[in-house]
Amino acid sequence: MKITFKINDKTVEARTGWTVLETAQHYGIDIPTLCHHESVTPSGACRLCMVELKEGNWSKLVASCIYPVKEGITIYTETERVSNVRRWVFEMLLSTCPASAKIRQMAANYGVASTRFPISNPDNKCMVCGLCSRVCEEVVGLSAISVVDRGVHKKIGAPFLRPTDVCVACGCCVSVCPTGAMQSFFDQVRGEPSMRLTQLTRQSAQEVKTS
Amino acid sequence: MNYKANIGVFLCQCGNKIKSSIDLEIVKESFEKDSRISHCEILPYPCQTPGMDMITGALAEKKLNRLIVAGCESRLMLKKFENAFAALELRRGQIDIVNLRGHVATVSDLTPADKAAKSIKLINGAIAEMQTLVPTGQSYAQIDGPIAILGCGMAGISAARELSRKKMNFFLVLDTAKPDRMVQKLHHYYPGERSYERRFRDMVREVFDSEYGTILSPFRLVGISGVTGDYTLTLQSEPDETIVKYKAGAIIASLDAEMGSPGPQYGHDGLSVMIQPEMENLISGQGAPEGQIVFWVNDYETGQSEFAQLSAKSAWKMACHIRECSPVSQAIILYHEQMQVPLTAAERAINRKHGILWVAYDGNLRPTIQDGLVTFCNLTDHVERDLPWDYMVLSPVRHLNGKALDTAKILGLVHQEQKFLTGHHARVRPEMVGREETYLAGSARYPCDLLEALSQGQRAGSKTTEMLRKSANGELMLPRIVCVVDPDKCIGCGQCQELCDCGGIGVEEGPGGGLPRVVDPMVCTGGGTCAAACPYHALVLQNNSNDQREARVAALAGQLTPDETLAIGCVWGGLPAADNAGKMGLKYDPRVHIMGVNCIGQIDPCVMARAFVEGASGLILVGCNPEACHHSYGLDHAWSRVNVVKRLLTLCGFSRDRIALAHSDLNHPEEFVRTVESFNRSVAMIGPIERSKENVDKLNAIYNVIKFNTRIRHLLSANLRRPKEKDYRGDQQHALEYDRDFTAVIKEEFLQHRLLTVLENEKRPLNLQDLVASLNENEIRIADCLWSLVSEGTISMSHENRQAVYHF
Ligand code: SF4
Ligand code: SF4
Ligand code: SF4
Ligand code: SF4
Ligand code: FES
Repeated sequence: MKITFKINDKTVEARTGWTVLETAQHYGIDIPTLCHHESVTPSGACRLCMVELKEGNWSKLVASCIYPVKEGITIYTETERVSNVRRWVFEMLLSTCPASAKIRQMAANYGVASTRFPISNPDNKCMVCGLCSRVCEEVVGLSAISVVDRGVHKKIGAPFLRPTDVCVACGCCVSVCPTGAMQSFFDQVRGEPSMRLTQLTRQSAQEVKTS
Repeated sequence: MNYKANIGVFLCQCGNKIKSSIDLEIVKESFEKDSRISHCEILPYPCQTPGMDMITGALAEKKLNRLIVAGCESRLMLKKFENAFAALELRRGQIDIVNLRGHVATVSDLTPADKAAKSIKLINGAIAEMQTLVPTGQSYAQIDGPIAILGCGMAGISAARELSRKKMNFFLVLDTAKPDRMVQKLHHYYPGERSYERRFRDMVREVFDSEYGTILSPFRLVGISGVTGDYTLTLQSEPDETIVKYKAGAIIASLDAEMGSPGPQYGHDGLSVMIQPEMENLISGQGAPEGQIVFWVNDYETGQSEFAQLSAKSAWKMACHIRECSPVSQAIILYHEQMQVPLTAAERAINRKHGILWVAYDGNLRPTIQDGLVTFCNLTDHVERDLPWDYMVLSPVRHLNGKALDTAKILGLVHQEQKFLTGHHARVRPEMVGREETYLAGSARYPCDLLEALSQGQRAGSKTTEMLRKSANGELMLPRIVCVVDPDKCIGCGQCQELCDCGGIGVEEGPGGGLPRVVDPMVCTGGGTCAAACPYHALVLQNNSNDQREARVAALAGQLTPDETLAIGCVWGGLPAADNAGKMGLKYDPRVHIMGVNCIGQIDPCVMARAFVEGASGLILVGCNPEACHHSYGLDHAWSRVNVVKRLLTLCGFSRDRIALAHSDLNHPEEFVRTVESFNRSVAMIGPIERSKENVDKLNAIYNVIKFNTRIRHLLSANLRRPKEKDYRGDQQHALEYDRDFTAVIKEEFLQHRLLTVLENEKRPLNLQDLVASLNENEIRIADCLWSLVSEGTISMSHENRQAVYHF
């Protein structure tokens, strides 16, 4: 089914099942993203890909990576509101993962060099976008890592934050990580072959106890 | 399903990432003219829904049956493409992804046109591979018949119970049919688990009474043949040695490690100084003993410190039991200072209630056992103390032995360098059965407590059930990239089985007995080192064959300019390291051209030789980290193969440094960059291979010898390097002698081959001088070689003008 709508006043033609982001990219219109990777289903976690959707005389911001195309909508990718929200996203990120050089670089490109939000862990690189665990699940077919929920903070780690024998050490998670955090986590997650085995023992004992 | 290749090539712009750096129009133009290609198109993002829709259109319209996407990492994107196009009969092996973004676009400062030229070379390699592919249809595993539980371990009971509850037919091979005997064995293998006795007894009863199970006893396993779904077990009845055969669909091995005595130096006599299982027996027979009972957790002294906690826990459980039944007794646990006391908070409370004393000793001084006393060095004041005992209980020495070892050997679970059976290689596919999970349970896998062993058994039971259910529903797809044996070529030499630790190569019953020549697709990891090792090329990795690799290497090498090099990376090490280097924007020498393989061990030496024949002047293989091969010793086997090629290069007067083996960690792409740069420098120093007729003949000879000479191939496979083993395999133990002998054989065979080639090509009788001139070799060596060929009857000798001439 063909769907016609407008991005930045340009008429584009999409089909059912495409997202706004995909359509824009297909037509060569660039929208910045972080938690989006072509290999997995989008999650809309980082909010960097926000665009402004105008209908009549009201408008709203939507995450383009998960927003399905609709007949007749009008999308603007570079408005005042959009760049405000992007700067805000970068400020948030500078507070969650201040140690990531990549994030600092991207933020600088948007003129964001510091943050008004409190920095709880100056050494953190992970923005908790969950790409690594999504790729592990959807591409590799495993669940070797997860976004471990610790109160308000989520943290990426192997279950129990120890190497698991589930991980096949394929490195897919490292390749998709937008912040470079997984590179530092990786050795801990894949573990040494000898470490894997003791973990195995512990883990299955745990399984019985909880079952 | 041997249909002709109908190839479509899709070039990704990846937004601006590729488009801005590679001139894709040049690439497209080159392939549009190419008659091997049915379709070529540039897309902004082929991997997103719009792009996928375009590809689907082209696939359907042009009936494409091979797809090449020139974009980014295959590791990440392949699955998405496979899922999207599965309905169009494009299956694993029929889609290839060339990483232009990571291997060309970002890694150098070449001009867009030069990058296009490099891209064309890489894509041409992929096209050659796709043309050579003979895709198989999708087959499904058929697994039915009962599940055999072998090995008499305790975990077998929980596996059997799980199967019984899930209404699966099973048979349990045991050495005893008496429930009481089973319970006794429980105390032997898992001392301290007395509180579990009643539940275990119930479990045994449930299994023995199950309508789904048969107890075969007393029997032991003496042989096995077949593959998952169709095993034939040979069992021997213990008393009268009669042999019976049983069919089984799947197997669960339940094996327990032996509990041995630490030896007389610990005063072990089984009466007053005993090991934990003996104490358990004593309690079973006579009840809890009275007096002062000292448990010495002496695992540090017996070299098994990793099991100290396990032993301490057993000791503690026994101590608790003794204190409960005989309050007049004292229980003391003596342990090495380095060991952490393995008690939880709740257990510590129980410990206090029972008043069990934990005494740590200074590990620098080994406690000494005397009659009724044990002397140890006190940790806090370094004073030597004596601890009196009425019973001294030592930790057992755990090892794989006896019947469990025999069974493990028959099942092909034993590998020389391990003490226990667990963890010798990583799984490569999540859906893979592998040997460990569904297959092996109990403390022989790795020492563990009873709960752990039983849970392993239960897990094996439920996983096997799941597998059989899937198979019954026709959902258990067989992996596509696994080995198959061509029975017409296979001579049953067993080389492949011996060197592949995946255990996928099984025995097939034939008229002359069992021959190692069927592959179990549920177990094979698709590593392919076995295929590369087969002297007769009888093993083929289907959908990813040696021919495919050879075609790709040939196509790539054929396009290289004299100063360019070829790199082959494995998908677990070298290739992702290159991908990540590209992702991080690291720059390196653009003259290196990279292609991927599943495992470095699957590269047959003839493929390496082919690269030089076709035009490469340098070839580097980049595998995983040492000891981290995802298959069976890929890197080590590759080492031996590279070495043979090195010897042959040297024999022909080429530098042995033209080929090299390296390894890369995907998490350290900067190291990968150093590796290829340094290799390129050394090849540049040697210079390109001059393509004179003589050199080309020599290179062809190298290729032919390494591909077809079964003597060299046999010798090579029999001696593949495995660094954890102390000695070379085969007869040759002395490193130098081995090396000299092997080189001598290669020299001899190589000269013979070249001689025969000249005689064949010239098609006329030649004399010694002719041969010396055309081979440019030592006269005496040629004369010797001619003599042996004549005496074998391979060639004949006659006389012309009173001179000896040689011909076919
Ligand atoms: S390396 Fe391990 S954690 Fe990362 S994607 Fe692969 S299996 Fe998952
Ligand atoms: S490690 Fe990387 S990919 Fe994973 S959640 Fe953190 S930032 Fe995202
Ligand atoms: S397949 Fe990879 S290179 Fe191609 S468009 Fe998608 S992300 Fe970019
Ligand atoms: S190495 Fe080749 S010939 Fe020997 S048993 Fe294996 S498949 Fe058969
Ligand atoms: S890219 Fe859309 S929310 Fe992150």
